[in-house]
Amino acid sequence: MPAAVLSRNTALAALSLPDVWCADQLAQAPLRTLPTGHAALDAQLPGGGWPLGAMVEVLQSFPAQHVWQLLLPGLAQAAQEGAGPVVLVDAPCIPFGPSLHALGFPQERLLCVRADASAAALWAAEQALRCADVAAVLAWLPQVRGTDLRRLHMAAQQQGRLLFVFRALRAQHDASPAPLRLSVEGVDVLRVRVRKRRGPPLEIPIDLPAHHTRLAALLAVKRKGAALPAQAPGARTRPGAIPSREKNHALDRSVAA
Amino acid sequence: MHWIALLPLEEERMAWSWHALQFTPRVSQADGCGGTGGALLLEISASHRLWGGRRALLRRLLAPQALAAPRAWAHGSSAWTALALLRLKLRGESGPGVRDQLPLDTLSAALAHVDVLARTGCRTWGDLRALPRAGVARRFGAALLDALDCAYGERPEEHAWLVLPDRFDLKVELPALAISAPELMWSAARLLTQLQVWLQARQRGLLALQLEWTLDLRRLNGVALPPNEQLVVRTAQPSQDMGHMRRLVSEHLARATLAAPASDLALRTLETTPWAGANKSLLPEDQVKGERLHELIERLSARLGEGAVLVPKAQADHRPERMQRWQAARKLQNPTAKAKADADATRHGGAEAAYPPWLLPTPLPLEVHNEKPHYHGPLRLLSREQRVETGWWDAGPEGLALRDYFIARSEEAGLLWIYRERLASPDDEHRRDVQTRWFLQGLYA
Repeated sequence: MPAAVLSRNTALAALSLPDVWCADQLAQAPLRTLPTGHAALDAQLPGGGWPLGAMVEVLQSFPAQHVWQLLLPGLAQAAQEGAGPVVLVDAPCIPFGPSLHALGFPQERLLCVRADASAAALWAAEQALRCADVAAVLAWLPQVRGTDLRRLHMAAQQQGRLLFVFRALRAQHDASPAPLRLSVEGVDVLRVRVRKRRGPPLEIPIDLPAHHTRLAALLAVKRKGAALPAQAPGARTRPGAIPSREKNHALDRSVAA
Repeated sequence: MHWIALLPLEEERMAWSWHALQFTPRVSQADGCGGTGGALLLEISASHRLWGGRRALLRRLLAPQALAAPRAWAHGSSAWTALALLRLKLRGESGPGVRDQLPLDTLSAALAHVDVLARTGCRTWGDLRALPRAGVARRFGAALLDALDCAYGERPEEHAWLVLPDRFDLKVELPALAISAPELMWSAARLLTQLQVWLQARQRGLLALQLEWTLDLRRLNGVALPPNEQLVVRTAQPSQDMGHMRRLVSEHLARATLAAPASDLALRTLETTPWAGANKSLLPEDQVKGERLHELIERLSARLGEGAVLVPKAQADHRPERMQRWQAARKLQNPTAKAKADADATRHGGAEAAYPPWLLPTPLPLEVHNEKPHYHGPLRLLSREQRVETGWWDAGPEGLALRDYFIARSEEAGLLWIYRERLASPDDEHRRDVQTRWFLQGLYA
């Protein structure tokens, strides 16, 4: 790299303007972030986590797909920090409390809002964002216009809240005010494509484990019979969830019981 | 003795009297003569030092947060003097420096005799006082002299002091007949403003109120109508701040319907509690902007219905659909800080790890081909069965659950949580014609 470019880059870095970043680097996050709990994803997001006070748009082909696997580590941390609930607006299915509880998210922190009309769902999501006690808002908005999304984004920006909007995969070519857009797909592996971020475009998708460690261990037991299961590739290791023979045996039994 | 006379707007007269009662217990209402009907008279000599002097008291009295400023006000050494000055102010005249120079038509008791007195050349209070008392008493009655003595502070005044009512109950006439419920909002907002003053004066926080509108028609299309209709609005946390109540009432009114056009609107309090005051803090973490959680829940419940805003409550049961009960968040006092003991009591060993995070509202029957369940193509079973046999104590088909749960894999939809319904009696299992039924109950996502 020529010395002139280098010096220009360092000069830019010294300026440290919040909304200006070099095209080949991630933006220096002007806003607070919350770690996603997936190290591979954190490394590719500006600021190293979910942005607080900005909309995160998640595109998926099935509306319920991969939601908890992607968001739960971050949400569990948000629930620990704040006292308020996580508001689910128009969730496609019913969240199952005991399962979420076992994965570290207190189930009494859920607040489900059902809205029949798209306008009512938007209104409910915006009201939830304006509430001081809410930790995060998850909204499923399959038919939403860009102007309404912008309104939601502004509400999240004003209040500094965590906001996830779930839309269908076919909306990927529509313009969106969200500074971070992801699409998730895959069955055995959770493939996250970063469609838009404050930084250089990311061509290579990020592969995350599609199931949490305990379920993956359980399935591995079944696949390999009674043999010692291999750690699922890329699975998060957690203290206390190290696959040992007894642990897997016990897990297996609990399912079979 | 020091008196303040002020004339509030007609529709806020009650609220102004409650507001004035904060500053002194001696508040009375002036008579209706001379264009000052509804004027309030306050005696402040006993309490002005508590408020930091006469000037500070006046400043606080005349600038209430919720009410409109009074039309005019004046102060003097007696109630009649203050009232006379108020009348002069309303006429746009400036008051004379001396009490003796006040025109006679500013004294209520002299109003009936002003013309006669004027023809005798008697135009001011001083002129009247200069006349011989016995003659004046014979000609105009003793009441005139008594009033004049009171005005000069030579005789104690008698007033009917106003008191603060125990409960708020105020009725106003609507500016126009209201055809739909949202049209009531304008009057309701004005009533709420007055309610706030009452709450502040009584040191109480509001929990529930009732709106009642009077219907203008006795019968409509041959159907007899009740004389009035009611709407009850409740909130979880006592409050004196009317911003939330105003939004809540407008949400409720937006959903309400009027049986017939309404002519009057009344607002009364149903439930109030002693108000402890709001805690204020200078710490930055306490300076959160935005509304409180209960306000959000109440507003969402008001617009979307109580059944649409739900929180889960853990239950001790082995049937997945009954492991949590969905409760209306409105019904719970403090929805998020619920007892964690419930959740801990319903731990099932390590089995939750195998539960899916999404549950279908009702189990979905799956197609079966070649004794294999299908959902967007054939399903491959990945786990051994988890047998659930429970609920025999509940009557009905939903009670008894004999199920074998499996984790299955679909090429399109990923991992699914399905179950096979087992048959109630072992004899049935040998019968060929009874087909095993498979259901989809959860999604791993």
